[in-house]
Amino acid sequence: MLSYTLRRLMAVIPTILILIVICFFLMRLAPGGPFTSERPLPPAVMKNVLERYGLDEPLYVQLWTYVKNIIIAFDFGPSFSQKDRSVNDLIAQGFPVTLTYGFFSAVFVLVMGIPLGMIAALRHNSFWDYVMTGLAIFSQIFPNFVLAPLMVLLFTLALGLLPGGGWNGGQWQYVIMPAVALGTSYMASVARLTRGSLLEVLNAPYIRTARAKGLSERTILIRHAMKPTLLPVISYMAPVFVYMITGSVFIDIFFSTGGIGQNFIDAAYTRDYSVILGLAILYSVLTFVLTLIVDLVYAWIDPKVRSGLK
Amino acid sequence: MKHTTIALALSLTTALTSGAFAADVPAGTTLAQDQTYTYRLQDEISSLDPQLVEDTYGSGFARDLFEGLYNQDGEGQLAPGVALSHEVSADKMTYTFTLRKDAKWSDGNPVTAHDFVYAWKRAVTPELASPYAWYMELMSIKNGAAIIAGDKQPDELGVSATDDHTFVVELSQPLPYFDQMVTHSTTFPSPKWVIDAHGEKWTLPENIVGNGAYKLTEYVLKERSTRVRNDMYWDNENTVLDTVVALVIGDENQALTRYRAGELDKTDTPAGQYPTLKAELPAEAIAVPRLCNYYFSYNLESGPEAFQDVRVRQALALAVDRKVIVDQVLQGGQFPAYNFTPAATAGFEVPEIDYAGMTQAERDAKAVELLAEAGYGKDGKPLSFTYLYNTSESHQQVAIVATQMWKQKLGVDVSLENQEWKVFLENRGNQNFEMARGAWCGDYNEASTFLDLLQSESGYNDAKYNNARVDELLAAAKSSENTTPLYTEVEQILAAEMPVIPIYHYSANMVLKEDVKGWPLNNVQQKYYSKDLYKVAE
Repeated sequence: MLSYTLRRLMAVIPTILILIVICFFLMRLAPGGPFTSERPLPPAVMKNVLERYGLDEPLYVQLWTYVKNIIIAFDFGPSFSQKDRSVNDLIAQGFPVTLTYGFFSAVFVLVMGIPLGMIAALRHNSFWDYVMTGLAIFSQIFPNFVLAPLMVLLFTLALGLLPGGGWNGGQWQYVIMPAVALGTSYMASVARLTRGSLLEVLNAPYIRTARAKGLSERTILIRHAMKPTLLPVISYMAPVFVYMITGSVFIDIFFSTGGIGQNFIDAAYTRDYSVILGLAILYSVLTFVLTLIVDLVYAWIDPKVRSGLK
Repeated sequence: MKHTTIALALSLTTALTSGAFAADVPAGTTLAQDQTYTYRLQDEISSLDPQLVEDTYGSGFARDLFEGLYNQDGEGQLAPGVALSHEVSADKMTYTFTLRKDAKWSDGNPVTAHDFVYAWKRAVTPELASPYAWYMELMSIKNGAAIIAGDKQPDELGVSATDDHTFVVELSQPLPYFDQMVTHSTTFPSPKWVIDAHGEKWTLPENIVGNGAYKLTEYVLKERSTRVRNDMYWDNENTVLDTVVALVIGDENQALTRYRAGELDKTDTPAGQYPTLKAELPAEAIAVPRLCNYYFSYNLESGPEAFQDVRVRQALALAVDRKVIVDQVLQGGQFPAYNFTPAATAGFEVPEIDYAGMTQAERDAKAVELLAEAGYGKDGKPLSFTYLYNTSESHQQVAIVATQMWKQKLGVDVSLENQEWKVFLENRGNQNFEMARGAWCGDYNEASTFLDLLQSESGYNDAKYNNARVDELLAAAKSSENTTPLYTEVEQILAAEMPVIPIYHYSANMVLKEDVKGWPLNNVQQKYYSKDLYKVAE
């Protein structure tokens, strides 16, 4: 298991390098540069600006300097559009925000989604099943860009309970709506997955055996049915979780959280090269680490997978 | 004789007498308990460093955290800042500013002429590489351009401090509006000792030292920042607002919702919503003239052959019904434009322009006639071209309406092409277009900030318009006492030759809570200072 983990981690380095090279050149293909503006800079001023940021060097030199600075100093370069700040500053500022509400959103998805799905499965075809299924479908047809404005109209404008946006150091009032708006449709999927999975597991022969042994429904559910039920949920949640803590661009912009997603869009528009690259690296490292964690959790739950990880 | 000397001395010394350089609270006003003002920023500002900042929101921060030689009052007129007055030499090449003695930095150090000398040299230093170095170049300070180009040392800039309270600027050519230009953030002083100690990190809240009415206490990137009053400010006694909070909110509709929920005191009106808001919140929805214009630019260098014919250019300009665009499409209190420079520009008299006085029916008839004469249009050669604009809903609406007018009235076929902002700028700047959208906001409140765009050598002359007489007139205006006849002639030449089609002049649209007073509605550059605002008890 350990050697497997190490091997997976080692694979990250070459992948990231390839990614840097691809991103680096893709960005330069886009017309316009960080200092293209409605008021074109006079040539002498432009020359000074390009020199300051090393953008006058040949591309391969720029690429080499960039990679070298990351390796030697863990320095991801300056931001061109926020002149007083570096990419490290931008990430240090925005990432904890996204991570925080992304985490609470994932908790919301699991804490709400799994029990809802289980209740629906256990009370199969009952009133509660229909309520849960209805609720799940309802949440799924409301994408976050519809749900978020509705929530703001209700909780901010009509009821005056929650602030309509901002972060304010991550006080709970500011976290609730981003987390719920981000998670609701996933919560619905998790509920449906759990319901289907549990129904299938409950019909499996070993559950019948457990019942025959006279175990209580509660013991059967917790000790025998739980783990296999959650397998599809876990494989579903892996990419979703990565998405939640990295790519919630809409939520960041709509709720003005100051999170990392906002930076990604802004940087693309302003051609803030080092910010785009820095974020791309951050996203891919996160994707790697999180999928690895999920695979390990999966192995812990499923013995068949565990034996395969050598 | 003695009399003349006094008169001459008076004309050369400008002592500013404007009263409104602090919150101008009428007697008997009950101020609100909580003097916190919260407003929306559409984007994060580009920098807190006065020499580096390059966006209008950022300039707003700079005006609160620093104070330059002069401020602007509610009408956009000069008001004393660190400087109390200035003298201009007989050749108009040397400006001597007298600074107040009670100005202090937020760390208690006195503000001296040396701080200005340092900051102005800093602004043109190639190593700092300020994008706004061009502004210093525009100010025509002696050796400025050569220093930026790396041909001279920053120390050779034509600025000096003869003593702690006398700041002298030498120009390379007379510039009648030079004193107007020192209200801009690039010219604000900066604290050398703080920059030396902290380097690039000097603008962080824990390091920054300013000489403005406010100091920065909190700065969360892309989310919020807080300014509180600076006890060291020389006029702190007359400052009313205690705290200024800026929230970054990208989505304009969401900002409006938060304004309605009471989280903001001011936000921008989302495009097209002004009439509804005006009906709903008559005291809060505001539209005032703003120093910007909007035009269509022909490509006279490499555009379609037909554009070389002035009759074609005239016909297209005549056929655009600007009232429809302003009243039906934009609906935000904009002004139809028949000439380039906005009427709101200081000292600018809108000249007689023939087609401005016609009815739209007359214009349309003339347009048909001119186009037929040129051999194009419904009975002539087909005319078709592409109109390029940057992706945005309101630009698209304007484009659709204007091209539809051309199609119906003149039988001209125009295809629309929209591009992402930077792609658009790149193509427009390289004349890689046939007709393109253009817009310009004044850098200072004087007509040349607009008209210079059509000077043949200008880097912003996307039309590649080239008229020796226009160049001559604009050059003469730089040192003229009376610019009106010069600008009138330029505008009339432009109207006759029509290198660009003026469409409308901007308005600033916002919603502002009724209890916020002192907003400079008559300042067409929207240069506000938080120290001039106050909140009244409701």
